[in-house]
Amino acid sequence: MLSIQTNGERKTLSKRDVLKVAKERDVRYVRLSFVDILGIGKNVTIPVSELESALEGKVSFDGGSIDGFVRGEEADMMLVPDLSTFAVYPWTLGSGNVEARIICDIATPDGEAFEGCPRTTLRRALEDARDVLTGVRAGLEVEFYLFELAADGAPTVQTSDVGSYFDSDESDSGEVARLDIATTLEAMGLSVASAHHEHGAGQHEVDLNETPILTTADALITTRIVAKHVAARHHLHATFMPKPLETCAGSGVHIYFTTAPAGELAEETLFAIGGLLEHAPAFTAVCNPTVNSYKRLVAAWDAPIYTAWSYRSANALVRVPSPQGGLQRIEVRSADASCNPYLAMAVLVASIAHGIRNHLLPGDPLIGSTYDLNDRERDARRIRMLPKSLRQALAELEKDAVVRGALGDHVYQAFRDAKFAEYERYRRAVHPWEREAYLRIY
Amino acid sequence: MIDDTLMSPDALVEFAEGLAKIASSGGGPKALATHLAAALDAAVLVEDGDWRHVALAGTGTRSVPPSIRDLVASARPSSDGVVHIELPGETLDALAIRIRGGDSPLGWLSIFSNGERLEARIGAVRLAAAAIAVELSRDAGGGKNRRRSFWDRLLGRAYDDPIEAKDDAASRGIALASGYVAVALEAEGLEETSAATKVGDLRRIALETLRSGSGEIVVLERGGGFVFLCPAPLEVDAQNVRTAATLIPRAAAKVHFGAKVVGGVGRAAVAIEAYKTVDEARESMFIARRLFGGSRVMPYDDLGIYPLLLRGGATAEELRAFGQRVLAPLRKYDEKHQTELVRTLRLYFDVGQNVKTAAAELSVHRHTVFYRLRQIAEISGHDLDSAHDQLTLRTAIAIDALNPN
Repeated sequence: MLSIQTNGERKTLSKRDVLKVAKERDVRYVRLSFVDILGIGKNVTIPVSELESALEGKVSFDGGSIDGFVRGEEADMMLVPDLSTFAVYPWTLGSGNVEARIICDIATPDGEAFEGCPRTTLRRALEDARDVLTGVRAGLEVEFYLFELAADGAPTVQTSDVGSYFDSDESDSGEVARLDIATTLEAMGLSVASAHHEHGAGQHEVDLNETPILTTADALITTRIVAKHVAARHHLHATFMPKPLETCAGSGVHIYFTTAPAGELAEETLFAIGGLLEHAPAFTAVCNPTVNSYKRLVAAWDAPIYTAWSYRSANALVRVPSPQGGLQRIEVRSADASCNPYLAMAVLVASIAHGIRNHLLPGDPLIGSTYDLNDRERDARRIRMLPKSLRQALAELEKDAVVRGALGDHVYQAFRDAKFAEYERYRRAVHPWEREAYLRIY
Repeated sequence: MIDDTLMSPDALVEFAEGLAKIASSGGGPKALATHLAAALDAAVLVEDGDWRHVALAGTGTRSVPPSIRDLVASARPSSDGVVHIELPGETLDALAIRIRGGDSPLGWLSIFSNGERLEARIGAVRLAAAAIAVELSRDAGGGKNRRRSFWDRLLGRAYDDPIEAKDDAASRGIALASGYVAVALEAEGLEETSAATKVGDLRRIALETLRSGSGEIVVLERGGGFVFLCPAPLEVDAQNVRTAATLIPRAAAKVHFGAKVVGGVGRAAVAIEAYKTVDEARESMFIARRLFGGSRVMPYDDLGIYPLLLRGGATAEELRAFGQRVLAPLRKYDEKHQTELVRTLRLYFDVGQNVKTAAAELSVHRHTVFYRLRQIAEISGHDLDSAHDQLTLRTAIAIDALNPN
């Protein structure tokens, strides 16, 4: 056992517990990790001799150089470790430089929670929703590609894997790597439900069981880190880019929320779905935050493109799968792993809470593929199309006070500014497709 | 049009009978004004005591002022209460008469001739004014009564024209939706001492559960319960009303309402046919009470064959329509996906619901039959394990077999 966290559930730990485990595991370095507004992992590495001081929240960093964190002279930020997230990186064991990580919240120098901290944003969203959401947990299905590395170590989009959904080929290096990823995640205390080949050649999926929502957001960060590290050891590159190949399935993250006991669909579940459908156009900017995300959200490979729900349709935005573990679940199928999971969870939780508070009903479930709906049918069901671009998604986000409110002013403004700038860079870039299409004929 | 210059007694009686017929079928001032305009070949304007527009009829090519307020003020009434109106630049006859309810002035009725002399037909005008007075006095009890009388008329099938209904609603401050779904509700087993309070509680619980983003819910007291007329301009609104209505018994139980709640939900109907959804809601409530028991609200759509059985005498056309409606989702799916769901269902019933035999008849594996039965349940919305739903599906299949075209 390499982690204090077991089977996805975290224990409340004291500083003494953490120090004891660090000593027992012969940890030499500890990464104090956090994410920026865009969900990009950051960390400050300290020698284990500084761990005690770090656990007291005495490690500071210059927030001024982190995207979207601070403005003006608010540069100094403090790292406040969440002791329950302490875990040893299994791949460093036996190396002589054993590393552990601990996920941190960000605080101001006077000890106040920093309003630009994504983890704090999710904590606040969960607190705000406590009147209608108690004990709700979330699970994940995380899709990613494993591509080969070039001779110089640079990632390619090549794969020797020709497998498809649920295929099994033990000689495939991707399959071996996927198993290694799942094993490593379990060793770090995550509760892996399953792992399997996905539709695309070289595409894989790891499923994580439902845990408390903050834990689940942490788990996506951990999964991204672990997959990249483990893949590299297999001379592969793990990418969570939503749509790396035009002609293959994109990679998404399906998020499951457990709601009520199994049985007849509970009214709170219906209202939760109503809230998700109501706010979907706005939360898309947060759950699908890159220009590339919108190349996945097209009418192919069962990607959701409409605000529809269903029991069985694989391309509905929200699906109600069969109950598991005696609990009803609702699955949000639009998000992708380029999202900041804390912000994504925050906007989804706020949407669900708004639906429950306001008794928003979602209409009847759709039967069949959403792709078959014509304009008249969509209008009659008040089904809207998800944004087709990051630009559209940002415009929808701007109009939705509930989703904006879940982010808070600081995060919303920083996120919006960063994403508008990203979209503008993309808009100005001349892409290979344009040269191919126009260079000869004009 | 009455072609006699002086209306004969018979013509006047015929005219009065027409007014009575309109009023008894729920026709309002607009319908009465239209009747008068047709009889006199004239334009007719009705305004209430506050000079608000109530109705306009028979204008044809005739121009009519939006109000006679200023014209009446400058005119001199004759001894019989008729005011001769002089329209600037016009020589055609025009007159106005005050609409009274007893001693109370309720408004003005103005007639604008297209050529005939109106004085000779004043009897018809007075009769129409009296009939309109009854309607306006019904409205004169304040905004609430004005609004109530509109819904009474709507459900009394008074409107043939959706525009007319919409205009009349607007004149009473009602934003009429294009479609409605009715929910009928009653509480059962109430103790006499607390019945009044409980009924009020039921109304509040229902309104809270049915609350809608699509407009105002109209509450009508019917028998010992209520009919809630919920706006449903789109299909999804009707679906949501139906779902919300079925949640009412649970909502009542949550607040310890302490009595059984039974109800029904009609199908969506366009505004001028709102009576249909109300009738269906009450019919569904009756069937829910008699057949299903417990505290529940049954949507008409879920009742299958029972409404037809309740009526005891469905026509062949109604039966055919029922069969087609029940099987339509399966047929549509079969056509689109080249499947055999209807055939599978028919065979499944023909072989006494024996999956193994059905599989042999269809030349498929029994797992395929199980899969198709799950699809049939999901697509048709009928539970094959429910005796009630089985009856509906079996009847639909039988009707379909008897009416192959």
